Amino acid sequence: MVGKDCVAIACDLRLGLQALTVSNNFPKVFQYGDNVFLGLTGLATDVSTVSDLFRYKVNMYRLREERAIAPSTFANLVSSSLYERRFGPYFVSPVVAGLDPKTGAPFICGFDSIGCIDFAKDFIVSGTASEQLFGMCESLWEPNLGPEDLFETISQALLSAVDRDALSGWGAHVYVIEKNKVTKRLLKGRQD
Amino acid sequence: MSRRYDSRTTIFSPEGRLYQVEYALEAISHAGTAIGILAKDGIVLAAERKVTSKLLEQDTKPTRSPPGGFHKCKSADPASNMICAVAGMTSDANILINFARQSAQRYLLTYNEDIPCEQLVRKLCDLKQGYTQHGGLRPFGVSFIYAGWDPQRQFQLYLSNPSGNYGGWKATSAGANKASADSLLKQDYKEDCTLKEACGMAVKVLSKTMDSTKLSSEKIEFATVGQTADGKIYQRLWSADEITTLLKEHDLAKDASAEDK
Amino acid sequence: MRGATILKASDDKTRQLNKHTLYIQANAQLYSMRNETDLSPTALAHYVRGQLATSLRSRKPYNVNLLLGGVDPITHKPSLFWLDYLAALAPVPYAAHGYAQYYCLSILDKHHHPDMTLVQGIKVLEMCTDELKRRLPIDFKGMIVKAVTKDGIRDIEFNDDKVVKCP
Repeated sequence: MVGKDCVAIACDLRLGLQALTVSNNFPKVFQYGDNVFLGLTGLATDVSTVSDLFRYKVNMYRLREERAIAPSTFANLVSSSLYERRFGPYFVSPVVAGLDPKTGAPFICGFDSIGCIDFAKDFIVSGTASEQLFGMCESLWEPNLGPEDLFETISQALLSAVDRDALSGWGAHVYVIEKNKVTKRLLKGRQD
Repeated sequence: MSRRYDSRTTIFSPEGRLYQVEYALEAISHAGTAIGILAKDGIVLAAERKVTSKLLEQDTKPTRSPPGGFHKCKSADPASNMICAVAGMTSDANILINFARQSAQRYLLTYNEDIPCEQLVRKLCDLKQGYTQHGGLRPFGVSFIYAGWDPQRQFQLYLSNPSGNYGGWKATSAGANKASADSLLKQDYKEDCTLKEACGMAVKVLSKTMDSTKLSSEKIEFATVGQTADGKIYQRLWSADEITTLLKEHDLAKDASAEDK
Repeated sequence: MRGATILKASDDKTRQLNKHTLYIQANAQLYSMRNETDLSPTALAHYVRGQLATSLRSRKPYNVNLLLGGVDPITHKPSLFWLDYLAALAPVPYAAHGYAQYYCLSILDKHHHPDMTLVQGIKVLEMCTDELKRRLPIDFKGMIVKAVTKDGIRDIEFNDDKVVKCP
């Protein structure tokens, strides 16, 4: 979700087999460098595989280039890496959020499982609760939110949406990314 | 006589020597000096940067040595949890460092943990060793000094050379004047010295082994591995200002007024 | 024994599991020999996950669910990992696989707490097996119980003959 000179990204913590909850400590948002974040929903095994794979790729990028990766560059890396598996895809739908390291401009985008980028100026949603999230974000989001308001908006949107989805919830991680500062908050949420 | 044996890496001479490996070592002894000192709370790596020409672009970052040169020194990081100083051919070092980074990242991918220092060093040395045995190839002309930390063995310092040998050290050196640097380190080394003392020792040794008596931040590079108060491990490549301050502390800095003349 | 189809299914599964764990055991041992140190439980869990994830997209995937328990050789922290045949890995405070999940997880939800001792743990485990005896349609022929401590793995005596009656 985009705010004024800041972005936020959040995920729930549930890991389940259909209706059976296995773990309530399975974060789906991963940090790559100072202000590039990747959220992954979908098949849990591919969430781990893909997040580890990008850690490898981004670390090598940083060592080689001696600078952090920019979110737009990272988005293209995600896209091309997913398309490599065009005919045997990872079952994930990623979301990228970050601030451009030079201009500080917010950047968000989403992908389908084979890497088609969906750029957005406002918000991106993904996962089993995406329909509910669309509704919540459409009604709560407004342009130019400050970091605190953005945190409130994204948290309310997420919590309200997952309450209407039996397959999501069980706590949440919320990251608010500002220039030179990243705030990570844990939301307990409903544990039932 | 020796001509019959020294043209190939894979052949022992009748005296049981591998000439190509010895030549590689010789090449390194023309490189700038690099030293590493293990302290109880960290490790310092210091290296001489040879400035070959005024026209050469000086990198703003202290990590990179001028590209393509022969016998340059530099501090580079093979992985995120280790740093190393290089003495020898930069081009050879680049290949090895890339290999080390890939190995370390592959380990992280497999085990979700940083690679233990010795394993990374050994991986690199296995590669180096291969080039002393398999036909038609020249050995890598580089020595590395590695500084790292892992949960099992805490702070560690290693030295490796073109033959593929490596060892753990309390203080060691590579490059030009290795012999004198080593004996100075042997003389000055104190068990349980702090990182700060080790830094002081490093500049002193460098000032004695380098050709010029007065040092400046353009001529040397510094990097440290240490532990913050809350137990986090950090690696840091020093900025020019920090090096200058250190030099002034030990009264080894080049006089600013003398430089103007 | 009797109830052939059901018992055979569980028999099959154990073999598969052994086959896979043999492969893992061999690799973990090779690592220990090469590096003169043991892998930590987290490192091993991620290694196994990697193997399973590769196998998942191969022609003949391993079909095995795992629980991995261990104590870190350096920090002495115990850890438990839940890993299914799809190679989804999760660090968990308690876990179960198969049909047992449906019976046991709710008991564990209620009675587990983070700093419980081994003795307390065994008690909760007994509550779980009692529940299984009471409600699971299959006779699972008792339990093998092992405890992993920082000093190693040891077998725990467990009373399999206890008769559980419905209340």
